[in-house]
Amino acid sequence: MSIPPGFRELTEASGFAAANGPWFEKIENGCAIRGFLPGPQHANALGIVHGGMLAAFLDSAMGTAVLHTLNRRAVTLRLSLDYLGPGRVGDWLQAEGEVVGHDEHVAQVRGRLYGPRHEVLTGLGAFALLSRQRTLTPRG
Amino acid sequence: MLQDNPPEGFLRIDFDRDRPETTFNSHIGTLYAKRGAKGTRDEFVLGFRVHQHMCNPAGGLHGGMMMTVADLVGTMGGGTLVGLRKFLPTVSMTFDFVAPARVGDWVEGRAEVVRQTRSLLFTNIYLTVGEEKFLRASQIAKIPSGEGLAFGKAKLDRSAAGAPR
Repeated sequence: MSIPPGFRELTEASGFAAANGPWFEKIENGCAIRGFLPGPQHANALGIVHGGMLAAFLDSAMGTAVLHTLNRRAVTLRLSLDYLGPGRVGDWLQAEGEVVGHDEHVAQVRGRLYGPRHEVLTGLGAFALLSRQRTLTPRG
Repeated sequence: MLQDNPPEGFLRIDFDRDRPETTFNSHIGTLYAKRGAKGTRDEFVLGFRVHQHMCNPAGGLHGGMMMTVADLVGTMGGGTLVGLRKFLPTVSMTFDFVAPARVGDWVEGRAEVVRQTRSLLFTNIYLTVGEEKFLRASQIAKIPSGEGLAFGKAKLDRSAAGAPR
């Protein structure tokens, strides 16, 4: 299985994202689509992708949607997830978010994570918008 | 190098007994569990030390790590509280990210069973550092019919603590 065309690896990842990557991203019509190829290290005891990994990945795609749509960095306040089907090891999985509403402080985002054959995870989240001046400074 | 130094009573959870490859619960870092007296707040406690590889670029515990652990506290911990050793697949979860956690923090997770039906288990989950709650979650897990798979063959590693098996 190779990486589908148009996706670039998120090489700036650190910490948790780097330890559980590589993660990829493609910008299509101004929207970000994220993808990753699950391996055995992402699996649970049933041999399918761990729900926590799916949650982490969809969360990242939904946060990226806020950045691309509103040009604001955001942190997750609340995330509600429904597990629809299994994510299989070796299947390319994609996730994307859509900002459905926002005010000055909070954005509402809908997200979906899907495989080549079916929907895997659906989510609705509230993201706190960081002030425009604030940058995320890495700490030692 | 930051050591885990789990508090007294916590034993490493061995998720991958007899498995050829490391699964996600082991890959994300070493997780520990403590079993307390039945009916007490500490009947099942999951714990871990926050390391850099569990963090986001801002140096806080990554939300994905919080969600992974909360999921596990609900299914493994909640299942333990009601006497189920089966693998319980998660149907739905909601997370409120109340506060951050930092590198070096010792995190504990506890589940409260809201209701158990024949096929579903409803739980509330809190992750804490000391007395401070930093993640609130609620979960619906499926209770499979039949025997199902035991929870990932996960076992508390008593050998490391020198405790009798």
